[in-house]
Amino acid sequence: MIQAEKLTKIFKDKKRGEIKAVDQVSFTCEPGVVYGLLGPNGAGKTTTLRMLSTALRPTSGTAIINGVDVAKEPQKVRSQIGFLSGDTGLYGRLSPREMVRYFGKLYGMSKSAIEERTEKLFGMLDMHDFADARNEKLSSGMKQKVSIARSVVHDPPSMIFDEPTTGLDVMSSRTIVQFIRRCCDEGKTVIFSTHIMSEAMRLCDKVGIIHEGKLYAEGSVHQLLEKTGTDNLESAFIKIVGE
Amino acid sequence: MQLSNIVTIFKKEMTDTLRDRRTLIFMLLIPIAAIPLLMMGLSSLMVSQITKVKEETSEIVIEGESFLPEELRSMFAEAPGLSIRGEDEFEGRDLMDELKQGNFQALVVVSDGFSSDLERENQTEIEIFYDEAEIKSEFTEDKIRDVLSDYKEQIVQKRMEQRDISTDILTPFTTTSQNVAPLQKIAGKEFGAILPYLIIIMCFMGAMYPAIDLAAGEKERGTLETLLVSPATRGEFVVGKYIVILVTGVVAAFLSLGSLVFSLNYMVEDLLKGMSKMLAIELDVHTIILVFLIILPLAGIFAGVLLSVSIFARSFKEAQSYVTALNMAVILPAFVSLLPGVEMDYSMALIPVVNASLIMKNAISGSIEWNFVFVALLSNAVLAAVTLVFCKKWFEKESILFRM
Repeated sequence: MIQAEKLTKIFKDKKRGEIKAVDQVSFTCEPGVVYGLLGPNGAGKTTTLRMLSTALRPTSGTAIINGVDVAKEPQKVRSQIGFLSGDTGLYGRLSPREMVRYFGKLYGMSKSAIEERTEKLFGMLDMHDFADARNEKLSSGMKQKVSIARSVVHDPPSMIFDEPTTGLDVMSSRTIVQFIRRCCDEGKTVIFSTHIMSEAMRLCDKVGIIHEGKLYAEGSVHQLLEKTGTDNLESAFIKIVGE
Repeated sequence: MQLSNIVTIFKKEMTDTLRDRRTLIFMLLIPIAAIPLLMMGLSSLMVSQITKVKEETSEIVIEGESFLPEELRSMFAEAPGLSIRGEDEFEGRDLMDELKQGNFQALVVVSDGFSSDLERENQTEIEIFYDEAEIKSEFTEDKIRDVLSDYKEQIVQKRMEQRDISTDILTPFTTTSQNVAPLQKIAGKEFGAILPYLIIIMCFMGAMYPAIDLAAGEKERGTLETLLVSPATRGEFVVGKYIVILVTGVVAAFLSLGSLVFSLNYMVEDLLKGMSKMLAIELDVHTIILVFLIILPLAGIFAGVLLSVSIFARSFKEAQSYVTALNMAVILPAFVSLLPGVEMDYSMALIPVVNASLIMKNAISGSIEWNFVFVALLSNAVLAAVTLVFCKKWFEKESILFRM
């Protein structure tokens, strides 16, 4: 369960002064439901998710993830979440196995637990053939699988995906979409951001429309379409934001 | 801060670093191979040039050869490495021009009254023309002088005998001077200057690439965020990475020390026979421990400065350009060991890089002043700690990590 409560982030820029990247955003993501944060580039999606993942500290407000406060106990939150974005990379000179092992250790897992989990993930993602090759030698689809395995090595109850399919080819993004579905089926809390309306329509159970740092509307895709009297999310988005 | 996390991070970064070809080149290959090769190449080139020139026969022309006394003429003819070309060979040409063109190496001009002046004990003159821009011509001039001074001595001796005066009158007393400096000190003077400079530069270069890769590289690869959201603290990451950079710097410094000493003692020795004893630097355990003591905090400063620059930089390239500028800031103070007359004092002992350079220079020539060593160690260690704290501060700062 992820609850954002008036999350706010202000950046200070020398030239432009104070910028409110995220402005009092509140929402709730339930376990077993895919929550999509929908908005154009620069809307504040990445900043919101970075605050949820503890990479950034909220200027004010907070988020509660599985009962732990992001602002008060970021260290504790980190073992509760898995994080994956479209541009997260790999260590080219390590192998997928070494990569997953490294993060397993950082998450404080025991050796045997790491081995067990690695076996399971590599089997599930069909990675055994390239488990010991150097990451830099892998195809983009394979790399994406390594990133996925890395993000869930500690089997976190909540998953945060920041534009996970941006810049990926068809096959890689299909792998990701399937993985998001699986997380949801396993009963994890899933939040992901995208600027691709069709992806949101296909994947999300619940959508939050975010624009210029503010959350404009929230609901299931069906509810949003009904409310705006449109037949696709794109028109609905324009209608909600444009007014 | 948990030790187990730091160990995990250190191990991973070390593995990663040791698989990086660029790091390996700067940390292992250059210190081990390049320096001895360079030194050996240079010295053998020099030695072979000199011996070649010395052994070669020089050609000289004596203008007015017939005016020379018979005795001197035969001395010239028998002189090793000199061959006399007849002046009639150059009939009708200007001998000075021929010399300038390098057709022979020196011209000796004898006046027609030379022999008779000597007979009458009038002071007379022989002129030597040579080309100082040509090393071979320079050596030829030396050889001619040798012949002439031998002859001069003979004449003086003869004249004194005629007057029944002992030649001892020319040398009322003799002087002997003896060197009391131990060999180590002489070697230190010659090579103590260059060694610290090279060691410091190698230490910096060894730490350079890992430092760039470990922070700016994380940003560029997009792996930084995955670290930030993992439960290990930012302080643990900084310490783990810092130690890796420190280790590579120290390793590079010691490899270069080892290979420099090895090449000075075993390679150059064969080339410069006779000088070999002066070149041999004997590094005893004390000196090695001292070099280690002084390099460790210095590498700590390098690691801290390089890592903070790397954390600040947005990309690998940006970090590289900062580091290039930093490189100059290290080379200049390290150069102090090469300057004659710069003496160690308390203010010098406080300046990083300069202090290490001077202490190593003195240690190699056998003089260790522990009061300065202590001040330098303390100063460098404090500075290294400051840079480490600074790295941690920056690694915790969002505006630095996510710099636009």
